Amino acid sequence: MASMSTEERVQAVSQFLLQSPPGEINDVLNDVRTLVGDDESLEAGVLPALQQYNLEQFTVAEVPGAGHTSIVSATAQIPGEQDRFLDPRSKESFLFDHLSLEASDPQPHEPEEASEPFRSALEASTLQYLSSHFNDGTASVFATPNNATRFTVQIVANKYNPVNFWSGRWRSEYIVDLDERKITGRILVNVHYYEQGNVQLETKHNASIVLPASVTASSPSVSSKKVLTLIADQERAYQESLGDTYHEMGEKTFKGLRRALPLTRQKLDWDKVLGYKLGAELSASKGVFGASGGSS
Amino acid sequence: MDIVSSMLDLMRRLPPTKIEENVDALVQISPDYADDLSGNVDQPLKLRVDKATGKEYLACVYNQDGESYRSPWSNEYDPPSEDGPVPPPKLRKLEIAANEAFDTYREMYFEGGVSSVFLWDLEDGGFAGVVLLKKTLTPASHSEPSGSWDSIHVFETVERGRQAHYKLTSTIMLQLITRRESVEANFDAKDSTAWKHDGEVSLSGSMTRQTEQDHPVQDGTSHVQNVGRMVEDMEIKMRNLLQEVYFGKTRDVVHDLRSLDDLEKARRQRELQKELVGFIKR
Repeated sequence: MASMSTEERVQAVSQFLLQSPPGEINDVLNDVRTLVGDDESLEAGVLPALQQYNLEQFTVAEVPGAGHTSIVSATAQIPGEQDRFLDPRSKESFLFDHLSLEASDPQPHEPEEASEPFRSALEASTLQYLSSHFNDGTASVFATPNNATRFTVQIVANKYNPVNFWSGRWRSEYIVDLDERKITGRILVNVHYYEQGNVQLETKHNASIVLPASVTASSPSVSSKKVLTLIADQERAYQESLGDTYHEMGEKTFKGLRRALPLTRQKLDWDKVLGYKLGAELSASKGVFGASGGSS
Repeated sequence: MDIVSSMLDLMRRLPPTKIEENVDALVQISPDYADDLSGNVDQPLKLRVDKATGKEYLACVYNQDGESYRSPWSNEYDPPSEDGPVPPPKLRKLEIAANEAFDTYREMYFEGGVSSVFLWDLEDGGFAGVVLLKKTLTPASHSEPSGSWDSIHVFETVERGRQAHYKLTSTIMLQLITRRESVEANFDAKDSTAWKHDGEVSLSGSMTRQTEQDHPVQDGTSHVQNVGRMVEDMEIKMRNLLQEVYFGKTRDVVHDLRSLDDLEKARRQRELQKELVGFIKR
C-alpha cells in the first residue's frame, strides 16, 4: 500500500477530531500528532476541523471582561469574519482562537432596535431556566439580522471527569419563529465512559412545537416566559422519555440478547455439557494423567 | 507516545459505532502498523455460512488467512486456502469438543445467536484459543430497540503437571439503538399547544477484562471444562458490569448535566434553612 502524503494524513485525522467525545479534543489532538509526525503541517491543516468542531459542539468562551460565558456557534459567527463571534448578552463581539479556546479583542456590537426588546426578554427567561435545570450550563440568545420575529436559543452543559473516566455534554437549540408561530428545536446528548472500555451514549431529538396565540412580539416579557415554559416542558418530557427508553432497552433488548442465567436458574454443568461419547474419545486420545484430586 | 499507543488511545475515545471505518482510516494512515491494530482492537464479529454444513460461524482475525476464513464446523477455508493454518489433529479434536460445548452454552444463555471456537498451538508449548459468541436482535417494528452482543474471549494455557495455568482476556461489545417518532397534542382551555418529535438513542461500546487462574487437568476434556467455567463466570461478571455502566453510569451523567428537579428551588430552600439555623442559634 502506498504511503499517504502528510497533507492526506492531516485530512484523514481531521475526521477523528470531529468525532472527539466531550472534553477530549486535546487528547485526540495529542494522539493524531503522533500519527502525523509533523506539528507544523498538523497545526495549519487541522484548523478547519477544529473550527467546525467548536461551532458544532457549542464550545463555551469566556467573554473578555464580561464575567460570563457565551456560546461559539455558526449562529454567533459575525458575517464575513470567520473567527469573530457575537455575545448578545454583553453586546460585544470577540476573536476566538480555535486551538487555545481563548477569546480576545472585545468590540462593541450594537443590537438591532426592532428585535432587541424581545431578544433580551427571551435571554432573561432563558438564563432563569438555565440556572433552574443545568449545573454547568451556558446559554446564548440570538436575534436574526433584519428579522425582528425570529430568535435562536442555544444551551450547552458540559461535565468532564477524566479522573473517573467519564464526560458528558447536553446541547439544545430552539429557533423561535413568531411569524410562523412555531419553535423548531433539537436536543443532543453525548456521554462517554472509558474505564477499561469505551461506552458512549449518543442521542438525537428533533421537536417542533406550535406557539399558542398568546405569544406575540408586542408582549416580550409575558411571551418569552411562555416560550421558555414550552421549552422546559419539552426538555423535561424528553428527559423522562429517555428514562423510558433506558428502561425498555434494559428490560427488553439487554435481557433478550443474553440471559443472566439459563432457564434452569443454574450455571452450566460443564461435566455434562460434553457429550459422553466425545468425552470418552478425547480422554483416550489425549491420555490420562492419572487420578488427580478431581476437577469438579 | 509511540504510534501504537496513540492508535489504541484514539480507539478508546472515538465512537464505538464507527470502529470499522476508523480502523480502516488508521490502516491507511500508518500501513506499517496494520497488524498491531488488528491484533489489539476488537471489531464486531462477522457472520458467515459454512458451505459444507450450512451452519453459521463467526469470522475474525483468529480464523482468517488473507481473504479466507476457516469454519469451526467443517475445518474448511472459504474461499479455499492452500496454506491456511489448521490445528494439528489432536488439537482439532479438542476444538470440535469445545465447539460442541459452547454451542450448548450459547443456547442456554443466548437462546439464539452463533458461537465459534478456534484453537492453535503456542510455540513454547501449550495452546491458545478464542471463544466467540454473537447475537443480534432485529426489531419487529420501527419503534422497538435493536441490539447486538459480541463476546470475544481469548485464552492461553500452559500445563504444569496436573495443573494448567489459564490467562483469559474477554471483550464484550454491546450495542443498543432505539428510534422514536411521535406526534402529541395537548388542547387545554386557554392555550392549545401541539408538538411532534423524532429521535434516536444509541448506547454502544465495549468493555475488556482479564483474569488468570490455575485449574486441575485430567485429560483433554478438562481444558474445555475449565475454559468453559472461566468464560461463564467472566460473562456473568461482565454482564453485571455492562448493565451498571450502560443503564446506570451513563444515565447518572445525563442527570448530572440536566436536573429534572428545579435547582433554584433547592438553592432557595437551602438558604432558608441556613437562615433558620442562624435564627435559632441567635
